[in-house]
Amino acid sequence: MANTQQSQPAGSGPTGANAAAELAEIQRRQEDVIKTALVRPWYWWVIAAALVAIGAARDSHDAVVLAITIPLVVLVVAALISTTIPGVRRRVKVRDAAQRSGPASVALMGLIVLVTAVTLATAIILTDDRVPHPLTISYAAGGVILVIGGPLLNRYLHSLMLSNARQHMTGAPEARSSQWQGLLHSDPAGRAPDHARSTNGGVRS
Amino acid sequence: MSTAGFDELIHAPTRLEIVSLLAAAQWADFKYIRDELGLSDSALSKQLSTLESAGYVEIRKSFVGKRPRTSASLSKAGRQAFEQHVAALQAIVARSQQPIPTGSDAEADRGILSR
Repeated sequence: MANTQQSQPAGSGPTGANAAAELAEIQRRQEDVIKTALVRPWYWWVIAAALVAIGAARDSHDAVVLAITIPLVVLVVAALISTTIPGVRRRVKVRDAAQRSGPASVALMGLIVLVTAVTLATAIILTDDRVPHPLTISYAAGGVILVIGGPLLNRYLHSLMLSNARQHMTGAPEARSSQWQGLLHSDPAGRAPDHARSTNGGVRS
Repeated sequence: MSTAGFDELIHAPTRLEIVSLLAAAQWADFKYIRDELGLSDSALSKQLSTLESAGYVEIRKSFVGKRPRTSASLSKAGRQAFEQHVAALQAIVARSQQPIPTGSDAEADRGILSR
């Protein structure tokens, strides 16, 4: 392996501002990778809409509507999953993906259980009370939980993955996290200033 | 904790972006890196070759069906160099935040940069 570490004279290295800008750039790139691995916010809206469509179709008590709606919803959801999730995995694999870690799995399962529980409970109550369109309303209630909880889950996974990435870089998660935060506060935009990007050889094409 | 060690190879802007991206990933597809960083195929190839020559990056070529696919990942040495580079940057920032640099600080800075 070539020895590439710095051997230039003292005093010719980056200034504190340049180093902070470089650290901000590193964090921004890592966040980009993590964002790529998470589903987009509209994903939850599509799933919620699919749920409502199933509820409405069942409330219609029309065999033809059901026969059209259910396969259509299944197709839409299958297409969504097959084009988004494996597509992401073909492009990049996040290091120690948080999806596999305990807290992330618990959070995901928690959302699924919550949506199912709210949908079922609402459906039972509304059906007992003979409210019109009980399944449409109950599936919509589940959809609302999904639309609110999905992005929250995304945010949680994002922070978990970012914390993992920082931990790998420094070994002491809490100390490093606060260290990073402190450093990054000096550059809230997260972008390296131009003067910091043009001091070393200009390899960017 | 990583030992601080400023790395001139990683410090270059494009290579810093590539290494930062790869540090968060187990591997990344060539096209993904190219699109994320807005580089041309040849520019990315050149930078990856430089990093590969230094032993920092491992390039894998495979086929998905009949399509060739190239992916890159940070090697153990590359990850270590990146961690040391980050530690060096953090040390530089920490020192710059101190109000009045003393002679011993200057000596310490020199130590980080001359590793």
